[in-house]
Amino acid sequence: MSAIVVYVLLLKAIATSFAGMGSLPQIQQDFVETRHALSVEQLNQAVLVGRSTPGPIGAYVVSVGYLAAGWPGAIAAWLAMMTPALAAIPLVVLMQRWLHLPRVRAAVDAVVIASAILLLASGFRMAADAWRQLASAQLSQW
Amino acid sequence: MELLRRTFTANGSLDEADNAGLVAVSRLTPGTNILAYCVGLGWSLHRWSGALSALVASSLPASLIICVLTAAIVRVDRYPAVRMVLAVAVLAATLLVFSSAASLLRPYLRRPALVRASIVAIVSGAMLLADVTPVRILLLSAALGAAISGSARPSDVE
Repeated sequence: MSAIVVYVLLLKAIATSFAGMGSLPQIQQDFVETRHALSVEQLNQAVLVGRSTPGPIGAYVVSVGYLAAGWPGAIAAWLAMMTPALAAIPLVVLMQRWLHLPRVRAAVDAVVIASAILLLASGFRMAADAWRQLASAQLSQW
Repeated sequence: MELLRRTFTANGSLDEADNAGLVAVSRLTPGTNILAYCVGLGWSLHRWSGALSALVASSLPASLIICVLTAAIVRVDRYPAVRMVLAVAVLAATLLVFSSAASLLRPYLRRPALVRASIVAIVSGAMLLADVTPVRILLLSAALGAAISGSARPSDVE
């Protein structure tokens, strides 16, 4: 997978999420299910590495990029992680103008709730795969 | 975020009102909240140079460590004992995924927002079961949220 594709896919996942781990469902869909660039196990490892490291929770995408395309992928993932954060600058201005409108606020709230539901589903998939991996590792030891 | 607030309010660069605004912006910015908070803080202190240096400083060290750790795990992953330890660690990490989801939902579990939040959650869950892609689920949820907002007040949540 090329670094540019990694950047575009991760940017899509990150830009449509509202929490560090919120990008996980879209990454699962794009990298594991659609493009088969990563196995479920590799994605779980990326999440694990992200959690074992101090810093932003969403930085696990760097590990995703590394596993999908090596160092260029890691750099692309780092850039993809940083890009949406720059939206904070115009958002400071926009928030003062539009967020008091009930419909705008309700739409934002709905996106946050939906991303939490997607995150729960990803958590269940992760746990199921880790459980399978644990069982197979135990079998191979015996 | 709390550490940044304490540091910058202590030296007078930030007041509580500014901090509240930055927290709201960080919640509304797509992606990782802490990065958006740092960009907002950097911007309010030194405009572009502040925003960019805050962004790099808050993301680069962790990213480098993650690359090194990932490379190390890839090398030792073939050993069954290592795989077993990793599987247990992944199971523990799933707890964090659940807690992230819970912290996103928590503000909506109070009475005025609960009904609308439940409707959005049920519809999102149904779309998920129907194999609708995550991006479409988020877009349709936003449309649904705006459609059912009715007489909602901004103070309903938070």
